[in-house]
Amino acid sequence: MTRQNINRFALILVGVVAFGLPLVLRSPTYLHILILLYLYAYLTSSWNLVGGFAGVLPLGHSAFIGIGAYASTILSLQYGISPWIGMIVGGILAAIVGILIGFPTFKMRGAYFALATIAFGEGIRVMVENVDNLGPLKINGPRGLQIPPTNIGFGNYMFAGKEPYYYIILVMLLGILAITYFISRSKLGYYLNAGGEEPEAAMALGVNVARAKLIAMAMSSFFTALAGTFYAQFTLYIHPKSVISLDFSFEIAFIALIGGRGSIAGPVLGALLLRPVSDFSRIYFGSTLPGLHLIIFGTVLILVMIFQPRGLQEPLTRAYNRLLDKIFGGTEQKEITHEYS
Amino acid sequence: MNILEIKNLVKDFGGLRAVDTLSLSIEEGQILGLIGPNGAGKSTAFNCIAGVYPPTGGDIYFAGEKINRSKPWNLCKKGLARTFQIVKPFSSKSVLYNVMVGSFVTTDKTSVAKEKALNVLRLLQFEDKKDERAGNLTIAERKRLEIARALATEPKLLLFDEVMAGLRPAEVDEMVQIIQNLRHQGITIFVIEHIMRAIMALSDRIVVIHFGKKIAEGSPQEVASDENVIKAYLGDEYVVS
Repeated sequence: MTRQNINRFALILVGVVAFGLPLVLRSPTYLHILILLYLYAYLTSSWNLVGGFAGVLPLGHSAFIGIGAYASTILSLQYGISPWIGMIVGGILAAIVGILIGFPTFKMRGAYFALATIAFGEGIRVMVENVDNLGPLKINGPRGLQIPPTNIGFGNYMFAGKEPYYYIILVMLLGILAITYFISRSKLGYYLNAGGEEPEAAMALGVNVARAKLIAMAMSSFFTALAGTFYAQFTLYIHPKSVISLDFSFEIAFIALIGGRGSIAGPVLGALLLRPVSDFSRIYFGSTLPGLHLIIFGTVLILVMIFQPRGLQEPLTRAYNRLLDKIFGGTEQKEITHEYS
Repeated sequence: MNILEIKNLVKDFGGLRAVDTLSLSIEEGQILGLIGPNGAGKSTAFNCIAGVYPPTGGDIYFAGEKINRSKPWNLCKKGLARTFQIVKPFSSKSVLYNVMVGSFVTTDKTSVAKEKALNVLRLLQFEDKKDERAGNLTIAERKRLEIARALATEPKLLLFDEVMAGLRPAEVDEMVQIIQNLRHQGITIFVIEHIMRAIMALSDRIVVIHFGKKIAEGSPQEVASDENVIKAYLGDEYVVS
C-alpha cells in the first residue's frame, strides 16, 4: 500500500465512522454533543475563508448566523415558505451584509479590524433586540421567535429524532471542507493568502486584494448563514442572545486559532478538542463552576499561541507524516505542510 | 517605440517635492538605469510609475497609454511588473507558492500557474529551492525571489528597485548576468541601483536625479564624466577643472 492509498483509506474510514455513528450511538445526549461539534466545525470552516485564508480576524460572524436563523424562521412562520428556501435567502442576505461590512473594514489591519467586526456584530444584535416589527416582518425583539413543532418532515426541515439533524450537519460539514479545500488550491486561495500576508507585494503581482477579500467575505457570510438556519431548526427557538451572541463569534475564533487557522483540518481538529471540553464542563460543573470551559479555552489558547502559533494541526500533521515515514521506512515525497497551511 | 514615457512628473508629500518635473523615456528592449544620491526620489518615481502613489502632476504613458491613476494590479496585468527595494516575500509560503501568485496573472488554472512558475524558477536557476519556505531564504535568494515573482507575471517592462543592494560581489555578477539574460528575451528593464559597477555594465542609458530633478542623462561614460553628477555625489570640491 502506498502513502496516498493510506491517506485515502484513512479519510474513507473517518467518513464511514462518521456516517455509521448514529447506528451505534443511541443516546440523544451524545448525538446532541456531536451535532454541536459538527456545527462548530462547519462554522469555523466557513469563518476560515476570511479569518484563515485572508489573514484577518473577524469577530462578528454571529451576525450572519443570526441573519440566517431569522430569515428562514420569519419566512416559514409568516409566509409558510420552507426553511430550505429560507436558508438560501438568508445566505444571500448575509452575503450582501458581509460585503457591506467588509467594504469599510477591510482597510483596517490587525486588532482594528477585529474590533470593527465585533461592533458590527453587536450592533446588529442590539438592533434586533429593540425592534418588534420591521415593516411587515415580526421580529419580536428580545423575546425571540418560537417555531412550533407541528409539521414534522423533511420539507419543513423539522424532525422528531436527532439523527436527521446529525446527517444534515455532517453533509454540510463535508461540503464546506471540500469547498475550502478547493479554494485553498485555487487562484482565489493564492490571492487571499498573498494579500493577507503582504498586501503591497500582492498588489504589485496583479492581485486586487480588496476584491479577493470581499469575495471571500461574501462566501464566508453565505455559508455561515446556512448554519444559522440549521441552528434555528435544530433548537426551534431563537432569540438575539442565542443566535447573535458574541459567544458564538468568540468560540469560532477560539476553535480556529487552537486548531490552526488557514488550514483545512484545523477547524475540525479545534472543534474535536474544544467542544467536548465545553459540553462536559457544562454537564459536570454547570452548577458549581459555570464558565469553566472559557477558563480552559483561554489557558489552552495561550499555551497554543506560545508553543504552536500555527495551531495544533501543524505538530499533528508532522507526527502523522513521521508515523507514515516509519511504516514505509523513507521520506518519499514529503508533504509540504507550509505550502497550503 | 517608447514603451514608457514620463512627462514632467511631479510628486509632492505635503510641502516636500520628492520628484520635480522629471521627464524620461525608455525604448523597447533597452535597459535604462536610474541613479542618484540617497533621497533623490528614485523610489518615489518608481512608485508613481507602478501605481502605488498617484502623481501630483505630469503624465505617465505605458505603451502609448496614459496610466496616471491606474491601480498596481491593473498595471501588472498590462505588463508592468516591479520588485521592492525592501523585499516583501510571502514568508510563510514556499518559493514556488510565491512565484505562483505572480503567474496567476495570465491564467486561472492552478496547474498552468504551477507549470509557468516552475519555468521561471528554472530560468533563474532557482528550482532547487522551490520547496524552501520564503522566510528561510538568504537576502540574495530573497532578491532573486522578487525577480522570479515579477517575471512570472510575464511583463513587458520590469522595474527593478535595487535588486543588488546587500549582495556580495560574486552575487552581483550573477545578478548582472540574470538581468542581461532577461533583456535578451526582449523584456525592457528600468533599474534603480547604487552599485556603480553593475549599473555601468548593464545600462544602455543612465538618468541621474538629484533632489527630484534630472541633472544628467546619457550613456554610462557620458554620465560618469558629467560635472553635475560628480558634484551631486561628492560635493563641489571634487570637480576637476
